[in-house]
Amino acid sequence: MGWSPRGALASPNVSTATGDSGSPVPTAGAEALRRRLGALMARGVDPPSDEAGFNELALEVFRYQVQAVPVYGRFVAKRGIDPERITGWEEIPAVPTRAFRRIPLVAGDPARAEAVFQTSGTTGEGGVRGTHRIVDLSLYRDSLLPMARRYLHPEGGPLRIVALTPPPVERPESSLAWMVGVFVEAWDDGGGGWFAGPDWELRLDPLKATLEEAAGSERPLLVVGTAFAFVHLLERAREEGWRTALPTGSRLMETGGFKGRSREVPRGRLYRELEALLSLPTGRMVNEYGMTELLSQCYEPVLDGRTGPEPEERFLVGPPWLRTRILDPDRLTPVAPGTPGLLQHLDLANLHSVSAILTEDLGVAVEGGFRVLGRREGSVPRGCSLSMEDLLRARDER
Amino acid sequence: MTGTVESRSPEPLMALQLPPDHPREGDWRECEGAQGDPILEGNGIRWMAPTRAGAQRLLDHLLASGPELRSLAPAERARRLGRAGARFLDSRDPLRREALHHLPHEAGLSPPAARELLDRMAGLWTPEILQRLLDAEFPSPSALDQFQPGPEDHRVRAEGDAMALHVGAGNVAGVGATSIVRSLLVGTPLLMKPGLGDVVLPVLLARALAASCPILAQGVAVVYWPGGEPAVLEELALAQARRVVVYGGLDTVASLRRRLPPTTPLVAYRHRVSAGAVGRERLDAVEPARALAGAAARSVAAYDQMGCVSPHLIWVEVGGAVGPEEWAGLLASELQRVGRDFPPGPVPPERAARIQQLRGEAELAQAMGEGARVWASSDSEWTVILESEFGFAFGPGGRLVRVQPVPSLEEIPELLRPYGPILQSLALEATAGRREALADELGRVGVGRVTTFARQPWPAAWWIHDGQGPLRALVRWTALETDTEP
Repeated sequence: MGWSPRGALASPNVSTATGDSGSPVPTAGAEALRRRLGALMARGVDPPSDEAGFNELALEVFRYQVQAVPVYGRFVAKRGIDPERITGWEEIPAVPTRAFRRIPLVAGDPARAEAVFQTSGTTGEGGVRGTHRIVDLSLYRDSLLPMARRYLHPEGGPLRIVALTPPPVERPESSLAWMVGVFVEAWDDGGGGWFAGPDWELRLDPLKATLEEAAGSERPLLVVGTAFAFVHLLERAREEGWRTALPTGSRLMETGGFKGRSREVPRGRLYRELEALLSLPTGRMVNEYGMTELLSQCYEPVLDGRTGPEPEERFLVGPPWLRTRILDPDRLTPVAPGTPGLLQHLDLANLHSVSAILTEDLGVAVEGGFRVLGRREGSVPRGCSLSMEDLLRARDER
Repeated sequence: MTGTVESRSPEPLMALQLPPDHPREGDWRECEGAQGDPILEGNGIRWMAPTRAGAQRLLDHLLASGPELRSLAPAERARRLGRAGARFLDSRDPLRREALHHLPHEAGLSPPAARELLDRMAGLWTPEILQRLLDAEFPSPSALDQFQPGPEDHRVRAEGDAMALHVGAGNVAGVGATSIVRSLLVGTPLLMKPGLGDVVLPVLLARALAASCPILAQGVAVVYWPGGEPAVLEELALAQARRVVVYGGLDTVASLRRRLPPTTPLVAYRHRVSAGAVGRERLDAVEPARALAGAAARSVAAYDQMGCVSPHLIWVEVGGAVGPEEWAGLLASELQRVGRDFPPGPVPPERAARIQQLRGEAELAQAMGEGARVWASSDSEWTVILESEFGFAFGPGGRLVRVQPVPSLEEIPELLRPYGPILQSLALEATAGRREALADELGRVGVGRVTTFARQPWPAAWWIHDGQGPLRALVRWTALETDTEP
């Protein structure tokens, strides 16, 4: 899968980063938009569909961003688009995810951002990392919790969080670590913990101890990690012949992909192996799709049975403040339903940067949501021309 | 996705051509791996794998074919190889028709581009060219296989090896067949493992040899197997080949190097990149500047930029009557025009996705006031990105070129210094004196070939291929010394 793992936070003060006060929101208009978004998010993720309401809000957010993010304003002007004249959110021009690598797409003074999230440093060309400056962290929190509640923890009640990520204080640029920090703050009963070090290496022994202790209890777990972390866990457990049984009612959230990593494991196999390792049904494993450049997330609605547990049955759904379009990669026009294409998102939670984001991910729309398609590494003829990744390796390994 | 290309092969090609006298009954089974494997299916390939005994029998056969192969004089080998190779140029020959039937699909090229590629590649496999290649590579043609006077009182002889393994990995079509021609020309029997995207021509060339010259055909086997997985033939061939030739990325080369016996020489043609540079003296009027842009566009369009000789980045010196921005615009219109004669092959969605990212990023850089500019087709066919900063970076292929202004061409060698090991060709358009002086420096930093845009995509048979002569890389020399009276 091609999306980038998310990153961390400049402020180490995660547990109090509610952001209600002191956010450098630039204008009165922006404050009003922030309030409207907050109200929309507070209604949860299953309100009656309101396309007209979404469209109106999206256009207002767009007009604000054109003013507040000068480079985006010039980009839009050069495309010949008059923000006052467009009538549908589909007409809002998108910026590529790649642009976050070196262009400050942020409202107001970049130095005043509350957090600076960055894509993983191990991927991409030459370690240049995508950087998303977050003006208002409370908006991230307001956006992520309703979705996580609905798709990871619908029944409510106490939960124990077992994170295969470093704590946000150790990786302040990781938006994933920050998100898990919000889960911990919202749900953890005090018995969970962080089981990866600052370099994302697994701390296997304490992890095993925690899982084994939980196995004897009735307190359900939420195990959170990247696909890559789970592959590591499986490898280490296999070497040691270790396995356990998670308490009934536990669930697992898997995110990110294998991009730039040496090993890839098909998701179906990964889930089956995790099922055997943890005695957790694959129907309790949820994929989350997110990226540093988006403050909203999409989840597989698998815990409530809207999608079956098999990989080919699964699909992703986003929150009401996000729309996903599938575009023809050649012309960036909408594809016919059921045709694969590039994913382009409009995420209103990106209020203070840019909402319309063109990704490099390929996906397909399905009834009720969309699917991300794996990359066909090696299937794209490249001839004997070097890849940029190989070039930088050749240069750096000398 | 781009272009109207009849790229579906009606039936997959069996990626296997064994020597004529080598029966495969019982030793070989068709592998199911291709079914359901989108990569192999997408490339229209079926493949077979031998048993361990069958693999050893094949290697023994190749080894045994050597003496008879070397019993033909080099000139005779050139003549016979050339007779088979030239069949690909004859439009009435069913072999050429079969090649053109499969090539667009497997190489990801449009039919006109595939035709040009075949014409240019097979143009190097004729009797006349192969004889000229021998003459170019050896001081005396008979120095191959016979002792001839060498330096001082030495006598020297060059010869091929008892057997070689040639490994293609993601080649441009034509590379594998050329590798077969070179090996047989120096008298070395070979096992050729073709790379995806370059299976058809090695198989068809071996078939043509079987039809016209059994002595040569006994010395070549073309067998595909997926890389990165344990394969018994690979294991045995790595242990028994006396020379290994590999075309591939860094991982492939590193992996082979690790597994080779320390006594086996490895000739590694690693994936590389190419670039171009235009001096201000070539930009003193619009029409010559446009002609140059046309040649550059042809170089970009050949192989859809998948060749190691394909330019991805062109530096344009400031100070000419036509400046870098104007020239980038000329290049864009020439790419548009070249696309009419040589439309691109299908653009895989992954590549189109990257192209859209780079275009959007450049648009934003322009909005930042960085002096960037983008010219692009309405689809993903071609893209020219003008960048304000002088630096080394390139795109995903698919006819995407970066143009960067450079204050002086003389700055280029220093910029390229860190990238020496991965540089291939630099098309250098400047006065003869400047070219000479710059080539001096460029060679020192690692550029193996300083050329022109017109010649860049189509190197001669005797080109210096990654720093060495194409046949001299494949021979061993023996010296015969005698005591001389003081």
